[in-house]
Order: sequence, then structure tokens, then C-alpha cells
Amino acid sequence: MRQLKNSIIISSVAASMLFVSQSVSAAGELNIYNWGDYTSPELVTKFEETYNVTVTITDYDSNDTALAKVKAGGHGFDIAIPSANYMPIWISEGLLLETRPDQMSNFKNVLPEWTNPDWDPGRHYSVPYQWGSVGMVVNTDVYSGDINTSAIAFDPPEELVGKINVAPEMGDIIGMALYYVGSEPCTDDKAALKRARDVLMAAKPKWVSMTYGIKEPFASGDIAASVYWNGDAMRTRQETPSVHYGYPKEGYVLWMDSVVVLKDAQNVENAKLFQNFMMEPESAALASNFAMYANGIKGSSEFMLEILATAPEVQIPAEHLPNGRFIEMCSAEVNKLYSGIWTEMMK
Amino acid sequence: MHINFLKKRNRDRFNVEYVPSFPVLALICILCLYAPMVPLLFYSFNDSTLLTVWHGFSWQWYEAAWNNERVQEVTLRSLGLALQASVYSTILATMAALATTRVPKYRGQGLIYAVINQPIMVPEIVTAVALLIFFASIKAATGYQGTAYLVLAHTAFCIPFSYLPIRARLENMNLSLENAAADLYASPWRTFKRVTFPLLFPGILAGAMLAFVISLDDVVITEFVKTPGKDTLPTYMLGELRREVTPEINAISSVLFVVSILLVGMTFLISSKK
Repeated sequence: MRQLKNSIIISSVAASMLFVSQSVSAAGELNIYNWGDYTSPELVTKFEETYNVTVTITDYDSNDTALAKVKAGGHGFDIAIPSANYMPIWISEGLLLETRPDQMSNFKNVLPEWTNPDWDPGRHYSVPYQWGSVGMVVNTDVYSGDINTSAIAFDPPEELVGKINVAPEMGDIIGMALYYVGSEPCTDDKAALKRARDVLMAAKPKWVSMTYGIKEPFASGDIAASVYWNGDAMRTRQETPSVHYGYPKEGYVLWMDSVVVLKDAQNVENAKLFQNFMMEPESAALASNFAMYANGIKGSSEFMLEILATAPEVQIPAEHLPNGRFIEMCSAEVNKLYSGIWTEMMK
Repeated sequence: MHINFLKKRNRDRFNVEYVPSFPVLALICILCLYAPMVPLLFYSFNDSTLLTVWHGFSWQWYEAAWNNERVQEVTLRSLGLALQASVYSTILATMAALATTRVPKYRGQGLIYAVINQPIMVPEIVTAVALLIFFASIKAATGYQGTAYLVLAHTAFCIPFSYLPIRARLENMNLSLENAAADLYASPWRTFKRVTFPLLFPGILAGAMLAFVISLDDVVITEFVKTPGKDTLPTYMLGELRREVTPEINAISSVLFVVSILLVGMTFLISSKK
């Protein structure tokens, strides 16, 4: 999302590349291509010891980089961990192996709400890795009213005016504004987009910043509220205990990164083992303890760190769960309208 | 005293190399370039996980970075890669510099000069995508996934950085010594070994150091070319930035910054030595 424009450029470049499959295989190896700072070393060691496999980790910094490298072919990776909104591209481009995780022995551990996501119907390709949400981070010492509403950002109470930060993520923020005006993200309903635009334009002067990183400004008191990711909200609370996380009742955005096997993987059997392994509660908990997000696997919380297992930012309270939704990549046409709104707002 | 000063000013005014208020401009440039680095260095000593709220002095992030196995691994790979790339690119650049200065003028010399310096002109992302596609077909055909791709790519884009100081040195060297050697029946190789090379050595060293720094700092090309498990320090740091940034990144950046400054400073000292 952060680099939507890049993604279009890179994927069109990559689309023109020759796709060559690889046939060389090496026994006892597994090459995982994952986001930087996102793979638990303990998890890797556990997998290596259990299956006598040598695991190599390689980092990527964005969905776009990962997609471009895999599309080019000859990459040498077996596993990647793309985000939900990119998943339809990976599937439709034929980059993934249909490993049918839904038929694997540990699939019974996947929480029911994650067994049939829109972006991978029936989980024919992917296994949950980590997931989270974008919500309202509020210092309740400054504002003690209801924080489970996106009005915190879009029609802020007096106490918070001039103390709000908003993550500069076009897709998430316009999507949230569309929920706020009673519509859906990626809608082509111009009237709804106009209402969302008006809400954003009216709210913008009441914000103080649109940047990444909230731990410090909350600690120093420069901001008292922010639209931000749940994991950061939890870490901010460790420094500033009065910071709480609200789930907008109008609708909020969810994200999930999932483990997939690449079509030209050289170590297919080990990769499948890894997918099944990631659905074990202990493994999922190890991943969460490192990345500090929820994982979608039943029974994993008993192996999780105390702060993670009990964090209201990570374990979504049941009453808020139905309001969270995944956003897709919008159509090119809607994207143009999004960019128009975003540009006007950023002026 | 006063008269001396006036004399000096008068002399300066007629000196073609004299630029009014040059020191002031230079100072502004240095400030603009290095002022953003000051907070980075400062907060690398912060005794807290916060990046911009000062809690007290501590070496803890340097210690954390030093003991981080992943950091050790990628740092060693970066240093090894930079060493190889700088040696290879300097050898190639030296040959290229000799071939473009110590021969009679020939057609296409300007074109060759442009081709050698192409990595400086072409945007890095273009080179990166081109290498991604090119190497992908080699990888698919051979199945080889080692560091050679990175060494080749780094060598290629380091060549102009070694080439420029070497060529500058060659152009400023007095030809009479080389001519004298030839007059005394020294073979071209012997002339090179005994006369040109020793005189050229400061230029070669400067070129190699510059190439080393350029290779050490590269992100974009490395990100696209690297094969499984071959992260370098900059690509590792880029990956770290996605989530929570701790002052450990400041500490690593500070060390990298100081090393780069030292190397570039030495390059300057060596190449300005007559």
C-alpha cells in the first residue's frame, strides 16, 4: 500500500519478463523469503531441528520488491509471506503452488474466521502467519470518551484537536473514511467518494501530522491520538500506559500476511512441511512472540508472551470483531479517484 | 599587517581560481550535508528504546548491535563483498584509464568514456531491474545461487568510481618520465611497472577506497540482485525499518558513517598528495 505506485510500475515491468521454472533440487534445505525483522530465529531453529532441514532467511522490504523478484524467476526461494491485498495478484499471476493447506493435518488449528478469506477462498494456497488491524490509538488521559469510533480522527472531540497523527497510508485512510460515511473501500460510487473526500478535507486541519512512528510523540505528549497499527499501539502502551486502542464501530481495516509456496520452489516437500508446521499452536506462538502480532491459530495464546496473550490491541474483543474487514487492491479507475482525493488532501 | 592584508586581497582578486566567499559557501554545504547526521549520532547513545527522546548516555545499542549474530553475518558479507568489488573494479578501471589516456586519440574514445561512466548516469533502479532480469535467466539456466552475482554487479557499478580518480591522476602526470623510460629501451610493461604504476599508485588507492565505500553503501541494486541468504548490511537495515526502529539502527548507521568518512577522507588525502 505504501508503494502502490511503485507496485504498478514494477509489476508491469516484471510482467514483461520471461518466466522460467527451476528444476534443481537440494535435499534438506528451505529458502524463506520474508519481510525483514519478521522471522523468529527460535521458530527457524525449531523447524530445522524437527525436520533436519537447513533454513535460509532472506529479507524483503515491500510486497512490490518480493513480487518483482519472484516474477523475474530464478530467485531460488521456496516460501514467501505476502500481504492479503497482494494475494490475488500472486494467485492470478500463477506464481503460487496450489499446496491445499486446507487438506493438511494441522488445518484444524486455524481459527474459523481465517479458514475462508476472500483473497484465498478455501485456503488452497496460504497459511496464516500474522495479522493485525488499523485503528484509533488514543491517550485516554487526554480524552476519556468513546474511542471505538473513527470520529476520533474524522470529527475529533475538542480535547484532541491539533493533537492527532494519521498514518500516511492512502488505501487504509480513504478506506476508513468510506466506512465512516457508510460506504465500502474501493467503491466506485462517486457520491460516497465525494462524502469521504469532504470528511477528510474537513478533518485535515484538525490533525497535527501524518507520519510514521507514534511511540515517541505519544511519550513526549506531542500527539494524543493517532490512526495507526495495533502492534505499534501495544508497544506505545508499554511506554505510555494511558494509551489505548479503539476499534471503530463504523468499520476498520484488517491486514494479514500468509505463508505461501512458490510455483518454482526447489524444496516443495519441505515448504509444505513448513506450511503445516506454521499451523501448530507452538510455532504460531513463536512467530507472534517475535513479530508481536496475532497469528490466527487456535490454542497459540497459551504459548504466547503474557503481554501479547492479554493485549486488547492484539486479541480483538469479540464485540469488535465483526467491524474489521480486509481491503482489496482497488480497480485502476477507483485508484485514480483515490489518488485525486489524496493529492488534494495532502496539499 | 594591515597593508599585507590588503596586498593579499588584491592578489586574490586577480587570481582566476579566486571565488568570493567560497569558505562561507563550503561551510553551508557541509552543514546541510552533515547536520542531519548529528541527531542520528547523538541518539545512538540513548539509554532508551525511543529514537528522539533523550534518557541518558549508554553504549547499550552498540553492544546490542555488536552481539547481534545477524548483524555480524551481514556486516562480514558486506565487507567481503566491498573488498572483492573494489579490487576487481580497480583493476578494470586502471586498465580502462590507461587505454583512454596513454594511447593516440582514436574514434569512439568519447563513447568509451561515456560507457565506462554509465553507472553514474543511469538511475540505479534501472540498472537494478535490468540486472534482475538478466541474472534471473542465468539463475534459471544454471541453478547457481551464490554471491558471484553480487560481486559482478558491485564490480560493474564501482568501475566509474575507481576510474575517475585514476584517470585524473594519469592526466596530471608528467609524461616525460614515461617517455624517458621508453627512450632507454624499457618495454611498455617495464615502463608501466617501474614508472607509471608507482606514480599512479595514489590514484589507484584512492579509486579502490572510493569503490569500497560505494559498494558498502549500495541498497537498491543489492536488494534486487541478492540470492537466498545473501543479505548485506544495508539491505538488512532496510528490512529492519519496516517495523519498530530502535537506536540499534542508529548505532549501526553511526559506525557505517564513521567508516565511510574515514575512507573518503583518506581517499582525499592520498589523491591530493603530489
